[in-house]
Amino acid sequence: MKLGSLSWRKCVFGFAVVGLGIAALAHATNYSLWVNGRTGGGQVGNHADFAYWGPAATAAGVNKKSVNWDGYNTIASTNGGVRDALDCYCTGNNWCYVAAHSAGNLQVGYALSLYGGSTRTKKNGVPNSGGVCGSAGTGTQTGWNIKWVDVAGGAGGGSELANAGSWALSEPLVGDLKTATARAMYNHNTTRGATFYMFAGASGTLYSAILPGQDDEAIAYHSSGGVSGTGGASYCNGSDWFCNDLTMGTAANEGGRAKWTSHNVKFRDNNESYNHYTNGNWGGIVSRAVADMVVNAQ
Amino acid sequence: MPNKTDKPTAPRPRTRRVRWPVVVALLVVAGACGSWWVSGMGNDNAASAANERRNAALNASVDASAAANGVALTPRQPGVVAVGGSKADALEIAASADPKAQLALWSQRLARAEEVLDNYRKQTIYPFESRPAREHADQMYPNRFVNEERRLTNPGQKPSAGVRIRTSQERIYVVGSETVLFTVSALDWEGNVLPLTVTRAVAEDPPLDGKPSKRNSVTLGFNDDGANGDVAAGDGIVGVRLSPETQGFSGHAGTIRVSVNLKVGEETGFAFFDIFFTPNPPAVWATSNIAREVVEAGSLNFYLKAQVREAGRYVVTGRIDDAKGQPFALISFNDEVAAGPREFKLNLFGKLLVDEKPAFPLTLRDVDAFLLKPDVDPDRALMPRLPGKVLLSKSYPLSAFSEAEWNSEERERYLAEYGRDVESARAHLEHIRKTMAP
Repeated sequence: MKLGSLSWRKCVFGFAVVGLGIAALAHATNYSLWVNGRTGGGQVGNHADFAYWGPAATAAGVNKKSVNWDGYNTIASTNGGVRDALDCYCTGNNWCYVAAHSAGNLQVGYALSLYGGSTRTKKNGVPNSGGVCGSAGTGTQTGWNIKWVDVAGGAGGGSELANAGSWALSEPLVGDLKTATARAMYNHNTTRGATFYMFAGASGTLYSAILPGQDDEAIAYHSSGGVSGTGGASYCNGSDWFCNDLTMGTAANEGGRAKWTSHNVKFRDNNESYNHYTNGNWGGIVSRAVADMVVNAQ
Repeated sequence: MPNKTDKPTAPRPRTRRVRWPVVVALLVVAGACGSWWVSGMGNDNAASAANERRNAALNASVDASAAANGVALTPRQPGVVAVGGSKADALEIAASADPKAQLALWSQRLARAEEVLDNYRKQTIYPFESRPAREHADQMYPNRFVNEERRLTNPGQKPSAGVRIRTSQERIYVVGSETVLFTVSALDWEGNVLPLTVTRAVAEDPPLDGKPSKRNSVTLGFNDDGANGDVAAGDGIVGVRLSPETQGFSGHAGTIRVSVNLKVGEETGFAFFDIFFTPNPPAVWATSNIAREVVEAGSLNFYLKAQVREAGRYVVTGRIDDAKGQPFALISFNDEVAAGPREFKLNLFGKLLVDEKPAFPLTLRDVDAFLLKPDVDPDRALMPRLPGKVLLSKSYPLSAFSEAEWNSEERERYLAEYGRDVESARAHLEHIRKTMAP
C-alpha cells in the first residue's frame, strides 16, 4: 500500500519524535517536583500523595512527584525532606523541574541559596517510605540538576498576614512568614543560576486592608512577584494608576525596586481572577503554574 | 506619567470607578501634548505590554488545550507513550495530530529553553560566590534597620481605617553582647505623627507548637523620653533597646519575640518583632591581622582568620566597595570547615574586576558569618559580625587579573543539558515544519 505524501511526512515525523524521546530516556529522566505551602496535607515522604494539590491524575509536568512537608513547622527544621527529594530525583543523569506554592517558595529558595553548592550524593530515584532514595553508586556532584522553578503565590517575601497576627503565632511556620524574617532567612538572589518563574494572583479582597497592593488573599505582589528589599511595598497591575506596577519578566518594577536576581514574573493577574487556594483541584494561582508545567516541563 | 504613591500600605482603590476618569483625563492631555508623551513612556511599560501579549498568547494556547483536553494534557518524554490512562493517550494522539498546535507548543518550549540557557550562561560568567553588587542590592548594607509600615491592627480584627504604624528593628540576627533597638510610631494617611501609647511590651521565648516558654517574659520600657535606647525625646517615635545577654536571655539560642500592644487615640493595635539570638558564637575572628589579600590564579582573594570552635558548614559574606565608596561586589564563602584555626577565603573573581573596572583601592566591609545547622531550629549560630571596614586593598593594574569566565563541572553540566534542551526543541520544530510543508 502506498502512503500519501502527507501520511508519509507524518510517519517520518512520528519516528523521528519517538527516536528523540528514546534517546532522551536512555540518558536521563526528567521529573516534576511539587513543593507545597502552609498547612501541608500530603503524607510526608510519600512522593505520590498529591492531597495538598488535587487529584493525583491531573497532568502537572513529566513524572510528577509531590515533595510533601508538613506546612506547619519552620522552613529550617523541615527543609531536609525537600533536600532529600532533590537528591532523589535531581542528581546524576536525572533533572528536575520544580514547582512551588506559597511557603514552598521559601523551601526551594532556602535549599538552593544555602545548600545549592554543597556536595550531593547521586541517588537512584527510588525513595523509601521516608522519601529518601538510595545511592546510585556513581559518586557525588556539586548541587542539584534543576532546569527551572515555577512559583505560584510565592511567600519568599513573607506575608503581612503573619505580621498582623492573622495567623496563629504559636504555629512555628508563621514566624518564618513574617516579612522581615522571610526576607532575612537567606539571600534570595542566589538561586544557583536557576530561573524562578513567578505566578502572581490578584483576586484577593478579604485582606486588602492588611496586604499591600494587589494580593491573592494571602500573599501580596511584593512577594509573589519576587520583589527585593523590605516587605510592605505596594505593587499592582498596570491598570492601577495609584500604585506602582509589578512589571513582567525580570525588569525592575515601576518605582525602581528590583526583583530578586533570576526571578521572572511570568504571570500577573491583570483580571484579578486567581486567588491563593488550590481548592482541592490545583486551583487558584496554582492553576497557572500547572499550565506552565504542562507545556514546558517535559 | 502621573506620580503614584510609594506609601507601602496606602489604601488602594478596588474599583475601576476611580481609575477611569483619571485615565480619560490623561488621554486627553496626552492627545493635546502630542504623541511624544506616549512614546516617552517607560520602557518597562512597553516591555510589559509585549510580555503581556506574549503571555496572553501562551495562556490562551494553554487554556484552549486544557479545555479541549479536559484539563488533562499529559506531558511526557517526547514520543513516549503514556502509561495507563486511555483518556490521556487519546489526548496525546489528538495533540500530536494537529501540527499547528504542535508548532505553537514547541515554539513555546524552544523559547523557554533558550531563555533558561541564556540566563544561566549570563549568571555563571562569574562564580556564584563572587557577584556584582547590582545583583544583590538588598544584601549590600546588612546593618541597616529593617523598616516596615502597615495599618494599625489587632489580630483577627478589622484594621484601622486611618492609622498606620511604622516599625523598625536594628537587626534580626543577634549574637553575644549585641543589642537591638526597636521603634514604633503612628501616622495618619498624610504622614502626620499621631500620639502613641505602648500599653504593654514584653520580650519572650515565644510558646510554639503547644510548648510553653522556657523563660519568664521580660517587660520592656518603650518610651519617647530619650531613655532605654529611645533616640530622641518627644519625636513621637517610641523606642527601646533590648540586650538579650543581660536581660534574661543569656544562654538562650533561638527566637526572642518582642510583642507590643499599642493605643492611638481610641484605637488599639498589636505589633511584634522576632530576633534570633546566638549566645555563644561557634567561631570567633582573630584578634589581630584578621584579613589579608592575595592575587591568586587571576583573582583577588581575601582571607579572614578565625578560630573555629564548632565544625560544620559556614556561610560568610562580605561586601566590596570601590575607591569612590560605591558598592562593587558581594563575595561569599559557603563550605564545610573543620574546628581549629582556619582562614575563610572570599574570592573576588578576576573577570568581574576586568569587566567592571573598579577604582582601586577596594574596601572589604560589613562581613557577617554563621554556622549553618541542618534540620534544626535555630538553623544558624552567628559569629560576631565585622561591621564597617575590614580591609583596604592595595591598588592593582587590571592586567593582574584573568579575563577568563568561571568554569566548573557544575557549569559544564548545566550548559550541556540546557543546550540539549534547546537543540531538542529546535529539532522538534524543524520536523513539525517539514511535516506542515506543502
